[in-house]
Amino acid sequence: MSRFFVLSLNGLTQGAIYAAMALALVMIWRATQVINFAQGAMAMFTTYLALFAIDHGVPYWLAFLVALSSGLILGAIVERVIVRPVESAPPLNVVILTLGLLLFLEALAPMLFGGQIRSFPPAFSIVGLHFGNSQVAFSPFDAFTLGSVLAVMVLLLVLFQKTDLGLRMRAAAFNPDVSRLLGIRVGRMLTLGWSLASLVGALAGVLIAPSLLLYPTFMDQVLVFGFTGAVLGGLDSAVGAVVGGLLMGFALSYVGGYLGSDLETVGALVILIAVLMVRPRGLFSRHRLRQA
Amino acid sequence: MLEVVDLTVAYGPVVALHGVSLTVQDASITAVLGANGAGKTTLVRTISGLVRPRAGSVRLDGRELIRLPPEEIARLGIAHVPQGQGVLAELTVDENLRLGGLWRRDRKAQRGALDETYELFPPLAGRRHLAAFSLSGGERQMLSVGRALVARPRLLLLDEPSLGLARRALVQIMGRIKALVTERGLTVLLIEQNAKSALSVADDAIVLHLGNVVAHGPAQKLADEEGLRHAYLGF
Repeated sequence: MSRFFVLSLNGLTQGAIYAAMALALVMIWRATQVINFAQGAMAMFTTYLALFAIDHGVPYWLAFLVALSSGLILGAIVERVIVRPVESAPPLNVVILTLGLLLFLEALAPMLFGGQIRSFPPAFSIVGLHFGNSQVAFSPFDAFTLGSVLAVMVLLLVLFQKTDLGLRMRAAAFNPDVSRLLGIRVGRMLTLGWSLASLVGALAGVLIAPSLLLYPTFMDQVLVFGFTGAVLGGLDSAVGAVVGGLLMGFALSYVGGYLGSDLETVGALVILIAVLMVRPRGLFSRHRLRQA
Repeated sequence: MLEVVDLTVAYGPVVALHGVSLTVQDASITAVLGANGAGKTTLVRTISGLVRPRAGSVRLDGRELIRLPPEEIARLGIAHVPQGQGVLAELTVDENLRLGGLWRRDRKAQRGALDETYELFPPLAGRRHLAAFSLSGGERQMLSVGRALVARPRLLLLDEPSLGLARRALVQIMGRIKALVTERGLTVLLIEQNAKSALSVADDAIVLHLGNVVAHGPAQKLADEEGLRHAYLGF
């Protein structure tokens, strides 16, 4: 099997995870115009909670649910406790608070769970599938990764586009003042938005932990790649986030495969700078100018 | 019945309303008249909770509204059509209209209210699934008013509904609102620059000047007072 094909398959799976991370960032950006730099740390924390459950004999799928539901709850707590009090302050205040939360969670995790590197079990085998005599670089767990990210995206799409709740959430994000006049409880919608974004981040955490290993800063580079994907897609477009995340997955897989894996982070930086220089509004943004 | 008592609103050191009082009877239209900067918009924004007053009281059927957030005030059945920019431009016409009555959770009635609105404003029906930013100024105004009516409000706050509307569309909208006043007991507070047209549809009127009420009474009586007309109403 050609090297290019192997790298592409790898890029697709990694890209799905970056896309989930990018989508989480974009959901929060659209709801509150804030880049949540703690998104990765929050996902790290929920992944640790899942591992904590597994250590105590909880079956994998239950631990998987622990990660997702603690993501939901953590998102709501962060919005209520950290973001809401500075809602009317300049956006920079919230951004700095999310950086503070990032440091806090990365310091708290080793205290609670120990600082050593842990392995995290995958849901399915990570051995490549066999087709006839040849083995491909695509494992059942890769299929699960792609499938679960896709499923979450479809569910979110249905929620936002087809339900009254999603309509309320979109209205609250676009224009909070007019939404309030229409009887929409904007505060609750923002909390829910943070919850759902944090859930998507938590999913990315449990999906990538088996290949990265689990340690307090293991999500930092995923956040950087997801963020680059989100900027590539235009920051305020959900479709853009998904496409941007996938492109990042492919690009970094080729950079790692052909140029050396220690160049991946540099590759992300090059892409970020190139996007900001050539097309600062990203591929899918509807706005002419980026406001912040 | 809407009662506003001694309402004082200030933006920093600038006082926009000086102890304004007024009463709006159920099933009637009260016009709020006055020049730019008289405090008309501030008055409705305070009633709907967007602006916090420094002092005073706003009561709907005896219930105090001051300190309630705008979304809870809306849920009491007060619909505010803001001046200009009231539509959610990124959403479709249909989504905008649906948002008007979502808090009621009465899907069947909502469906009916939506159909009624499309019947009332045929230009909107043709653009149902287009984003609201593709609408003309007049169509946006129709959408704004239509969305407020979908909520089946008890009290309707209209801030300059004539803005950007063709004369014919305005007459049509006001005709529909008049009908709702008599048939369903809708109460309306109508803000207008154009005093003449507002007085022709209103039952009562108040005139604001630099944040003070300088005249109030039955609309017909105010329209007949020549001195008042010359001094404040410009016709």
